[in-house]
Amino acid sequence: MSEKKRRAGAGAAAGGSASKKPRVSSAASYAESLRSKLRPDASILATLRALASACSKSEPAGASSSSKALAEDDPAANYIVVADQDSASVTSRINRLVLAAARSILSGRGFSFAVPSRASSNQVYLPDLDRIVLVRRESARPFANVATARKATITARVLSLVHAVLRRGIHVTKRDLFYTDVKLFGDQAQSDAVLDDVSCMLGCTRSSLHVVASEKGVVVGRLTFADDGDRIDCTRMGVGGKAIPPNIDRVSGIESDALFILLVEKDAAFMRLAEDRFYNRFPCIILTAKGQPDVATRLFLRRLKVELKLPVLALVDSDPYGLKILSVYMCGSKNMSYDSANLTTPDIKWLGVRPSDLDKYRVPEQCRLPMTDHDIKVGKEMLEEDFVKQNEGWVKELEMMLRTRQKAEIQALSSFGFQYLTEVYLPLKLQQEDWI
Amino acid sequence: MDAGGDGATGATNRKAPSAAAAGSNPKGKGKGKGKGKATSNSKASATAKESSLLKQKSPAEFFAENKNIAGFDNPGKSLYTTMRELVENALDSAESISVIPDIEITLEEITKNKFNTMIGLVDRDRIDEELYDDFESIKAREKRLAKEARFQETQAKNAALGKKVKEAPAARGKGRGEAAFFRVTCKDNGRGMPHDDIPNMLGRVLSGTKYGLRQTRGKFGLGAKMALIWSKMSTGLPIEIKSSMKEQNFISFCRLDIDIHKNVPHIHLHEKRENKDHWHGAEIQVIIEGNWTTHRSKILHYMRQMAVITPYAQFLFKFLSDSVDKNLTIQFARRTDVMPPIPLQTKHHPSAVDLLLIKRLITETTKQNLLQFLQHEFVNISKSHAERLIGEMGPDFSAKMTVKSLTSQQLVRIHQLFRQAKFDDPSGNCLSPAGEYNLRLGIIKELHPDLVATHASSPQVFEGHPFIVEAGISIGGKDVKHGLNIFRYANRIPLLFEQGADVITRTALKRINWSSYKINQQQDKIGVFVSIVSTKIPFKGTGKEYIGDDITEISSAVQSALKQCCLQLKSKIVKKLQARERQDRKRNLNRYIPDVARAIMDTLGEIADETPPKRPRYDKEDEELLEKVNSQEVTEMTFRDCLTQHVEQVWKTFSEKS
Repeated sequence: MSEKKRRAGAGAAAGGSASKKPRVSSAASYAESLRSKLRPDASILATLRALASACSKSEPAGASSSSKALAEDDPAANYIVVADQDSASVTSRINRLVLAAARSILSGRGFSFAVPSRASSNQVYLPDLDRIVLVRRESARPFANVATARKATITARVLSLVHAVLRRGIHVTKRDLFYTDVKLFGDQAQSDAVLDDVSCMLGCTRSSLHVVASEKGVVVGRLTFADDGDRIDCTRMGVGGKAIPPNIDRVSGIESDALFILLVEKDAAFMRLAEDRFYNRFPCIILTAKGQPDVATRLFLRRLKVELKLPVLALVDSDPYGLKILSVYMCGSKNMSYDSANLTTPDIKWLGVRPSDLDKYRVPEQCRLPMTDHDIKVGKEMLEEDFVKQNEGWVKELEMMLRTRQKAEIQALSSFGFQYLTEVYLPLKLQQEDWI
Repeated sequence: MDAGGDGATGATNRKAPSAAAAGSNPKGKGKGKGKGKATSNSKASATAKESSLLKQKSPAEFFAENKNIAGFDNPGKSLYTTMRELVENALDSAESISVIPDIEITLEEITKNKFNTMIGLVDRDRIDEELYDDFESIKAREKRLAKEARFQETQAKNAALGKKVKEAPAARGKGRGEAAFFRVTCKDNGRGMPHDDIPNMLGRVLSGTKYGLRQTRGKFGLGAKMALIWSKMSTGLPIEIKSSMKEQNFISFCRLDIDIHKNVPHIHLHEKRENKDHWHGAEIQVIIEGNWTTHRSKILHYMRQMAVITPYAQFLFKFLSDSVDKNLTIQFARRTDVMPPIPLQTKHHPSAVDLLLIKRLITETTKQNLLQFLQHEFVNISKSHAERLIGEMGPDFSAKMTVKSLTSQQLVRIHQLFRQAKFDDPSGNCLSPAGEYNLRLGIIKELHPDLVATHASSPQVFEGHPFIVEAGISIGGKDVKHGLNIFRYANRIPLLFEQGADVITRTALKRINWSSYKINQQQDKIGVFVSIVSTKIPFKGTGKEYIGDDITEISSAVQSALKQCCLQLKSKIVKKLQARERQDRKRNLNRYIPDVARAIMDTLGEIADETPPKRPRYDKEDEELLEKVNSQEVTEMTFRDCLTQHVEQVWKTFSEKS
């Protein structure tokens, strides 16, 4: 009886959204009943405005504190920190390396490169900086050694290729680079790894080498910027969104009237949000890297965060990998730890889907999946990670996930209707300020 | 044995069938005795037939009916066994007079027509086709012709496309009646046979010169006689023997067959012929049914394996038939003149005798009293030892008592004491192993391996019989397949059948951890050669084709001999591997030199191309280098040469260190 009443009320509150037929499932009817809890959008927007202004105020303080930490510790001495450099200075660094190697060869001593080690034991998480950094520890890579001959050769070749790219003032993709000497590189993983080595050796970011990965991430929403001089309006990008430029140097003139940035793990959820024009109901910028974030997306997110000073909310799967992806955005990946200063965006709020949401929203059993042994292993490892430990809320959520041994994807919410995510779940989350 | 022969004449306890079925104790029959009994047996059976239904069987009859025991299971195997029996006899014969063997074996295929003319049968065409098994109905023929046409079509197509042309499928299998016949001839340069003994030596089963305790090649003492029985059964044609002994001015020629029922030779012709070339040896010719198609590879394997273990012999193997392309002549050349000594006849070891054997030894002995008997008829019993033994037997025994007067109970006492008392192990002096040198030579000569190792164990003992294990392992070689190639020898004859259960096969497969000797059991071409010689080879199975895996003494001796070989090989293999690895490593370094030279040169070229004002200033040395690049004094080749020299130098110091 009361259920029916509430649902009728919910329909009215939602402001003319299609009236729903009564459901048999009690979980579904409960989920629908939550619709009635939604206040008018105006009141939710007020909440978001408060969040945005709080964020823009606190941001300068946070930024300065982190840069202060950098200055005090002088991390360059202990840790490898790369910086963006112009092509002239990169070229001259390469020239010096090559000349030294050439002279060494001509003097009959062969040659050797000093390459910073990027082994995982060398990657440490610094709580002060709240990101993973690379400890400075160099190892020699001599040519006249069976173990390193191949790597040394590839390094020399990559240096020469990068030199050629820089001299012509163009950009190439990692794939391009690989295909210039497939026979020597063998597979792309090898040339990619050496490329990262070269970045470390030269102390510059990978973008400074003019080598980029292919486009992966997309963005849509209340954002305009110039891509290589062309004005892009991200509200007019259709459902697919604008591909995030792999070369961040091309991006300029960022403008936005959004109140927050919504980070989405997956393409499917991104499409739903874009098609429902979620950003018009609640002004926001929506972006996704379609899984594990690539360098370009991370750079772009950081750029948005720094320039627009907006809060970042994340929508990821309720499984250990969702959290892992979140961690990469926030603290960086081990592979790119040498550039973590440029790639990480601290202070991302975990909006959903969180393990506690599964019960809160009564996600039906058939939409939840049992965690595999591997999932549980990864989850337990995550619990040991420093960046998780820092946030009490996260620890609780993760423990809950491991206790129930259940995981769910964002799409689990589709069991209440395909648009449940945009019409009920997210608005309610925002209204309740339910992020941690 | 339907009539259970024992009953008719109780005295015939040495009857051939039972002895042969037991199989392991052929020495139980003295030569002379066998003869006498066999004849009287058959006579008895003739009379018995009239009075009752009890039947007697002659040894020849027994083997005719159970020919699989002697390896005559089917025509193909019979051809193989006939050939090997003749070859082994020939080897024995030559070795017995210390002449290095020279043996010729000829297999001549005889077509049915030829065979019929030979036996004086006129060829007759089939009239009633449907009477025959291989009759082809019209429908079946149409089907077959259509299939053949189709095949030819694809064949033509393949040929046109330049593909490999498949061989035409084999013609329809022969019908049941379509037998193949072979004339098997084996000629040697051995002792030959005394003119008068020839009929009995070949025409009577279980009579032989090889009985007695010594290492012999033969299995049952059947040899050529079984071939004779088989020829009688399959073709009915007699065998022909030519023989001459040293210093004999004539050649004996004998044509005979065997009266299977009576176990007596049936002589067609026995004469002396001229011997102009002073030839000595024997040549035996027998015509039998056989199957070359199925047993061709076994026969050739046998010859090859025999050549490995007998490198001092020369074999000439010929196969002749009407179709020239099937003909075959293989010469296995002699590689050495060193021959193993003739195995000595030895006395029994006390722990290896049974009650029956003690009785027989007593009847045969020339010694009068017990002490002398013990001392002289057995090995490892000295006079004092014999006295102690007699003392141990009890008050009924004395050293001086006549040995022939011992009662059955007393014999049991002696037997029991022999079982329990401790005796020294028999020495291996009576054995004649192939010799490590000969084995190695044989392996090298026939397989041409990359590596070979051999090992000979010291004599060991099981159940009172001494044995020696010799082993060889080869790696690589020609005509050797990947994985284990096992060559088994017992008393210096190859064993080819029933390989699976054999002690040598099992040891090689299961008890040797090849990989720990750096040998790849699947990939490497491994030749495993094990030769066991003994006064008694513990064969298993009716055909005496393998040695059981249940005798610990033998299996552990085989294992340790193989391990010794492996150890020898390991150091050689490791050295080879190291050399190859070093080569590989060096090649790996050199492989990248062109890549590096190009990469460095590309960049240097670009740096040097830049015009000085645009170019940042470098050190003096760097500037000099760029000058050289511009003047082409330094080129890609310069870098290549420098790097090659550097690698060479690094390599030298590295090699010196290790």
